[in-house]
Amino acid sequence: MNKALTSLNTFFLILLFLSLIFSMFSIPKLNIDETQSIKVNFYELIQEDDILFDSSILNTTIKKETKKASVNDKKAEPSEAEILSKFKINKSDIKNEISKIKLSKEREDILRVSAIIQASISSIWIKPNSLSESLIAKVSINLAPSGEILNFDLIEPSSNNSFNESILTAMNKMTFLEEVSFLDRKLFEENFRNFNLVFKSSGEIE
Amino acid sequence: MIKFFFMIVFLVSNHIFSILEIEILKGSDNLSKVAFVPFGIESGIEENYGIQISRNIEKNMLLFGEFENLAVNEMLSYPSSENDFYYRDWKVLGVDYSVIGKINSVNALGNLNISYSLFNINRRIKILEGEILGSEDNIEDISKIISNRIYEKITGLRGIFDTKLAYVVNSDANTYQMCISDIDGKNEQILFSSKAPIMSPDWSPDRKKIAYVSFENGLAEIFIQDLQSGERDSIQALGMTNSAPVWSPDGKSLALVVSFSGNPDIFLYSIRNKRLVRLTNHYGIDTEPSWSPDSKKIIFTSDRSGSPQLYEINTKSKRKKRLTRDGNYNARGRYFPDGKSIFFVHGNNGNFQIATKKLSSRYIETLTSTSLDESPTISPNGNIIIYATKDGSNGYLGGITLDGKARFSLPVKNGSVREPAWSPLLK
Repeated sequence: MNKALTSLNTFFLILLFLSLIFSMFSIPKLNIDETQSIKVNFYELIQEDDILFDSSILNTTIKKETKKASVNDKKAEPSEAEILSKFKINKSDIKNEISKIKLSKEREDILRVSAIIQASISSIWIKPNSLSESLIAKVSINLAPSGEILNFDLIEPSSNNSFNESILTAMNKMTFLEEVSFLDRKLFEENFRNFNLVFKSSGEIE
Repeated sequence: MIKFFFMIVFLVSNHIFSILEIEILKGSDNLSKVAFVPFGIESGIEENYGIQISRNIEKNMLLFGEFENLAVNEMLSYPSSENDFYYRDWKVLGVDYSVIGKINSVNALGNLNISYSLFNINRRIKILEGEILGSEDNIEDISKIISNRIYEKITGLRGIFDTKLAYVVNSDANTYQMCISDIDGKNEQILFSSKAPIMSPDWSPDRKKIAYVSFENGLAEIFIQDLQSGERDSIQALGMTNSAPVWSPDGKSLALVVSFSGNPDIFLYSIRNKRLVRLTNHYGIDTEPSWSPDSKKIIFTSDRSGSPQLYEINTKSKRKKRLTRDGNYNARGRYFPDGKSIFFVHGNNGNFQIATKKLSSRYIETLTSTSLDESPTISPNGNIIIYATKDGSNGYLGGITLDGKARFSLPVKNGSVREPAWSPLLK
């Protein structure tokens, strides 16, 4: 019994470890354009590929079947019903589609608001001149549903003091991020109540 | 059981990893707005000084187009001490930083005590304060010191308002003048005048001497001139012609070009014992040497591959490395003060522009948009490049900050200005 317990424990430990690793690597990255990117990791991406994948399967089955047909005339032609059945729409499919659309709408909202936040902070952040090293600093922000910045904190400062100062100055200039006030409340609570801003400098001359 | 509990905690805490993160890569193109409030004065001191000192600081800070200012008549108040300073007065005007100060008299001999403060309006904190003792006669120098400190506090870079510039003025076809001036163009001094061309000035690291090439005796010859005494000496290295001298960072030797029987190569010349050591030996032209900040390497231009390109040679091992491959003209290379990048003249379809390249990267980046740029020189803090360029037949000095936000040209002189060389910082 004891043996069984320890092995169960080990199993749980391994599971725990794997889930930790998985959670770290499962953050999908969505590029807005070449230079700006926003990390969103709440929802599975809509699997647009799936649709393609399905249709390709369909194609191959058709091909296969026509091939068979040409080789062996005796075999019945691929019944159209069979192919049509692939296009048949189930109730559950519709449900799925609706939830997908809902998800994609939410994802779109998150992206849109993130892009607006990104742009408005970019427009007031005066980056110090000629930073020859690449730097990263992270700021955590708490927002009220109205978009008011309740507080912010430089949780991971960079090694460069003037870089940190410039970020604090920019954050102090900002009082409202009002675009979040138009968001669905649930979406706000899940994503924008507390989020991080990652300030980066590539160290390249721009 | 405990392990199981831990697991639950971990699984719950997984959502910590899924917090939304927005990356900010691009900064604003706007400049920081600085208010330079006229300094307050103690009664008995000439009223002008207060305005003069704040205006001097303002002029310095705006010199390279790195900041925006607030006009004095737009200010809502003129505080001279922290007690009279209200952040909201500046916040409403969109000011990012305010400079205030006060001049107090120390004694009747004209000695002054000048105190100053710098405020970050957005963060609502005082970020700098200081005091300087000086006399009425050197208000300009005091302004430079204060400007340097403010600049350093805001940008994190060394202030360069007390640096100097050396350059050659060609006022007419037969007059060449070796000049130095303050970086704002004031206090110009003519070191040497000649009917024959003068070229390639370079500052000694202690800022006390300048080496340059003069053709006064018919051939290219290197002279070292002492700035204090005005004395000049030809270094009389061997060979037919000597050119392109550059001081090593320790000031003990020069890297230069010596041409024996018409084939220029790079040599090191020790100033104390006047010894010449060969660095390159190639039938191609090797010229325009310059030291890396750690003095371990020298960058030079060579046409050994068929077109002028930049190479780097280790002064000890003499191992060479080609640095540029883009285009068929890359010359007059110099290192950045941090030694990680180089800047040079890049030729492309008859246009010659100033370009930079990180040594760790393959790509070059052109900085300027004029077409006949030459002899770039960098500020000691690595933030600004000044170069010679042409407007028609007239040469003038242009400048650009490395973030590309500001471009400027230095005041036009009587004649063509060429070959700028930025002095090192005062030590």
